[in-house]
Amino acid sequence: MADSKSNAYGTNTSDTSFRKTWDKAEYTEKARAREAQEREEGKARYEAKLQGKKYYKSSDTTTAKQTESRANRLNVAANVGKTMLVPAGVAAVGKRGRGAGFYCADCDLTFKDNIQLVDHLNSKQHLTNVGESGEVGRATLEEVRARLEYLKQKREEDRKELNLVDLQERIKRREDEEETKREEKRRKRREKRRKTEGGVGHNVEEDEESGIIC
Amino acid sequence: MAHQADARRMLDDRGYTGQTIHDTNPAHLLEKAVRDRIIDSYYWKEQCFGINEATLCDRAVDMTFIGGTYGQQKPTPFLCLMLKLLQLLPPREIVLEYLHQREFKYLTALAAFYVRLTFSSVDVYKTLEPLLEDYRKLRRRTKDGGYALVYLDQFVDDLLTKERVCGTSLRKLPARQVLEDLDQLEERVSPLSEELEGLDDSDDNERNGTTNGHDEESDSG
Ligand SMILES: [Zn+2]
Repeated sequence: MADSKSNAYGTNTSDTSFRKTWDKAEYTEKARAREAQEREEGKARYEAKLQGKKYYKSSDTTTAKQTESRANRLNVAANVGKTMLVPAGVAAVGKRGRGAGFYCADCDLTFKDNIQLVDHLNSKQHLTNVGESGEVGRATLEEVRARLEYLKQKREEDRKELNLVDLQERIKRREDEEETKREEKRRKRREKRRKTEGGVGHNVEEDEESGIIC
Repeated sequence: MAHQADARRMLDDRGYTGQTIHDTNPAHLLEKAVRDRIIDSYYWKEQCFGINEATLCDRAVDMTFIGGTYGQQKPTPFLCLMLKLLQLLPPREIVLEYLHQREFKYLTALAAFYVRLTFSSVDVYKTLEPLLEDYRKLRRRTKDGGYALVYLDQFVDDLLTKERVCGTSLRKLPARQVLEDLDQLEERVSPLSEELEGLDDSDDNERNGTTNGHDEESDSG
């Protein structure tokens, strides 16, 4: 990036020194955390040995990503309206394998209703399986403002789309109305022609397309 | 600093060690029966899991009514999000951002309720009184499941004067006069009273009675 350019936030991006310091600080922090973890593990292993037990490393939480809000509503409606035969005995929570009910593909478990499914999706067991820590990052004021701005724009776009649909519907309705009118005209013309043919017999030519009588 | 996606820690009555508000676990600012209804609700489990101060806005802007519980004691999303806020305890600046943004009125209402529950008495008056000039319309879910119309200023007035709002007993708020006498609050000069005085001076009586477009009657359950 060229020097003396400012970014969208109006802050100067040419000076990247802050970044280096931050990276270094982050690195140091990570190294410290790792050392601490290793110490902790060593201690746990030692204590387990004292008690004559085997030490099992707990699931790795340092690489787990933070848990985020659901982007969509759970798609449980996909099962609505389908007849599902739930065999007796399935009522138990979390039956292994794919069965009739609500299925979690990550854990290969089937649940009998959406409440049990969502309870499961929120559970430590599921989060561990999908590599999430169950911790949620805090948002700053700037992130809140950005979110609100995004939601505002989204709402405006939704409104525009609604208006557009509305407009298209109105155009369609108008066209339908005009078509009905034209149809009515044609009908009357045909009626008139029939009368003249059976009557005096002077010739009437008609242009169907334009509706002009020559 | 992160917070837990679930609220087990907050809801653990025996071992709560987190931040307190008014010397209590913030979750306890809602009544136990209501709290239990909330954490059992599908909305709480599906929509309130894993959200933070920013993504809470996604839910807040989808709200279409305020209220407590309705029907078979079903808690409104309004109450569910309140419990989430009491778990998140956002910093003051974020609460004020929720309160003062102008696009989403239900977010403003939610923040006003939160301010009433968590701020100090003087701060409640100072923060909420300006909203007594906010005449935006809200829908309120009534106990029987119906809807009632309430204006934002009415809702805020309820928060300042009533003991129960939205299925929640409110902490006692000293009368404004008491805090004025203690020199903790300045006398409130509402733009409305200025306007009314202005009306007395002017000969134009036609506008009389139009300054407060709706009457006072409301019924928050
Ligand atoms: Zn799962």
